[in-house]
Amino acid sequence: MLARQLRSTALALALIGWGGAALAADPSLDLVAPLADYKIYVAENTAKLVEDTKAFTEAVKAGDVEKAKSLFAPTRMSYERIEPIAELFSDLDVSIDARADDFEKAEADDAFSGFHRIEHGLWEKGSTEGLEGYADKLLADVTDLDARINGLTFPPEVVVGGAAVLMEEVAATKISGEEDRYSHTDLWDFDANFEGSQKIYELLRPLIAEKEADFVAKVDGNFKAVDEVLVKYQKDGGYVSYEELTDADRNLLSTKVNTLAEDLSTLRGKLGLG
Amino acid sequence: MDDHRTLPRRALLKALALGAAAGALPALPARAQQPEQARNVDAAPQGHAESARQSVPFHGPHQAGITTPRPANGIVAAFDLVLGSLDDFERMLRLLTERAEFLTAGGPVPQRDPKLPPADSGLLGPVISPDNLTITVALGDSLFQNQPWLAGLKPARLQRMVQFRNDALDPSLCHGDMSIQFCANLQDTCLYALRDILKNLSEFVVLRWMVEGSVPPELPGPDGTTPSARNFLGFRDGSANPDATDKAAMDRIVWTGGKDEPQWAHGGSYQAVRIIRNLVERWDRTPLREQERIFGRMKHNGAPLDAPEAGERHVPDYAADPDGTATPHSAHIRLANPRTPDSQKHLMLRRPFNYSRGALKNGQLDQGLLFIAWQADLQAGFIAVQEKLNGEPLEEYIKPIGGGYFFALPGVQPGDYLGSALVTAARRS
Repeated sequence: MLARQLRSTALALALIGWGGAALAADPSLDLVAPLADYKIYVAENTAKLVEDTKAFTEAVKAGDVEKAKSLFAPTRMSYERIEPIAELFSDLDVSIDARADDFEKAEADDAFSGFHRIEHGLWEKGSTEGLEGYADKLLADVTDLDARINGLTFPPEVVVGGAAVLMEEVAATKISGEEDRYSHTDLWDFDANFEGSQKIYELLRPLIAEKEADFVAKVDGNFKAVDEVLVKYQKDGGYVSYEELTDADRNLLSTKVNTLAEDLSTLRGKLGLG
Repeated sequence: MDDHRTLPRRALLKALALGAAAGALPALPARAQQPEQARNVDAAPQGHAESARQSVPFHGPHQAGITTPRPANGIVAAFDLVLGSLDDFERMLRLLTERAEFLTAGGPVPQRDPKLPPADSGLLGPVISPDNLTITVALGDSLFQNQPWLAGLKPARLQRMVQFRNDALDPSLCHGDMSIQFCANLQDTCLYALRDILKNLSEFVVLRWMVEGSVPPELPGPDGTTPSARNFLGFRDGSANPDATDKAAMDRIVWTGGKDEPQWAHGGSYQAVRIIRNLVERWDRTPLREQERIFGRMKHNGAPLDAPEAGERHVPDYAADPDGTATPHSAHIRLANPRTPDSQKHLMLRRPFNYSRGALKNGQLDQGLLFIAWQADLQAGFIAVQEKLNGEPLEEYIKPIGGGYFFALPGVQPGDYLGSALVTAARRS
């Protein structure tokens, strides 16, 4: 029901949003259905993000460190899956997901907020003390993000380019283990980034599968190879610490991420988007 | 070198010598002495068509970048390799060869549909100049350790670099499955090549570390010979190097052969890379005479201390100085090469660059030597010499922090690919 509603809204928005843009008519029309489906995927994730963040921030405010720790990584996944869209709102991206080294004073900077501020408190200090305000702000921010994304016309080049952008994210900040540096839950983020990228790719795949058989075979193979590495590190419905990732597997993931980024960065061009 | 295609070298040398005599030399080579033109600040510094055209042949019995003249800039990059099979290894080597052939020869960059990411970084514009670029590929011990299909094929002397007593090795700056050395007239040319290889070989390579370096160009002396470049301690470095144009000497000192080495490895060379931090502030506060006694050379001209005006190529006579009066026994050059008959078997060819990597937390400069030495026998060459240097007074001023040992593949002929003999040997075994 919700999905159907979203689908029709997305379709309408998509058509209105870029029907008049200076794009070739054909690729735009081909993209309508995948974009509408992607809009639903994003909406489902932001709805889940709000729901999970509510539980997470409640645990923080209740002073329940262990529960908050257990909810940290799974809560972030809905954000990490849709990062290319979430990043369109740079003010929220900073307040939700900035890392300490985005600030000159690092952890001592009051502007350092969001998931990683709370992560720092939970793992480094083992306490929720002083985190209440950050918890309220995080919930308010993700709620705002959900509303803004639901009102957004998705630019097709952002969606299509998003498949590669997610791989750039992994290559730049995840592979080094610096994203979740206090909790070492980076593999959860990896999983979510890959899933988000693969979702976009799968939605667009039928448009190119025939014409670009070698390309899709290579990309399919690389996503599969990533899955095969990640599955080795799954435990109790989640992932083990990033510190348990072997050098060999990190190198393997690194080459797959960079090769996927190289290949997926051609998706826009292959679909006729500038 | 015959294969080093410089243009009117004699004319250039003559002009420079005249300029030196007149005492009116600019800091740049003579070809910069063109009529002053009004140039705006946004104009790029003037390049030189002649140096851009210079090329070093990629093909040959040995890889370039070892005995070929050292241009002003260089990079050593070390990689981990992700290889699922021997087939992957062959694909990587073929792709690497193809890229290196293009990059070292230069030419127009293929144009793509502008809706796609461009084929290259664009750093050098639409047409690439060879600019003396060499790309030298070498393999590390870990590759042979980790890949079962290379079992039994490791070069006899290849090993993992071990810590010497003065080292403070940073694991993020050490070792690797493969090293690639890039050398060119301009650093941009090296960086372009590195980016090209990272982009095109993303399936196989993970960058582990990389250090950029340079050597200051030197003006030829009145006799027409060019002195050794100075390192960041202000001393000439490489004065006692063997003659890289002497083929017989290189066959003996640099190129690997002999019965104890696998057949595929003949014509390759062992590469010792050391990232050696120089404690430059402390060094600059050391009395000149002490600096000279630590090195065993005069600072201003590089001459050995027993013949201070004889020039840097003069061979010191240690037999006449048994007590170390002129040159202390602990001097760097006397320890490294005591000039005895035994010293011959420890020779190597050094081809280093200076590096500068910004500032350290303590407010000191992060500068040093990107030491690169080539030899036919790693054990008899670098390792034996470094063991002799352990405990030398120079240690107070230097701190090796990284590097690794690698084995440069033999050269490649047109139509073939780098490392083909190794792949063939691996398929057979």
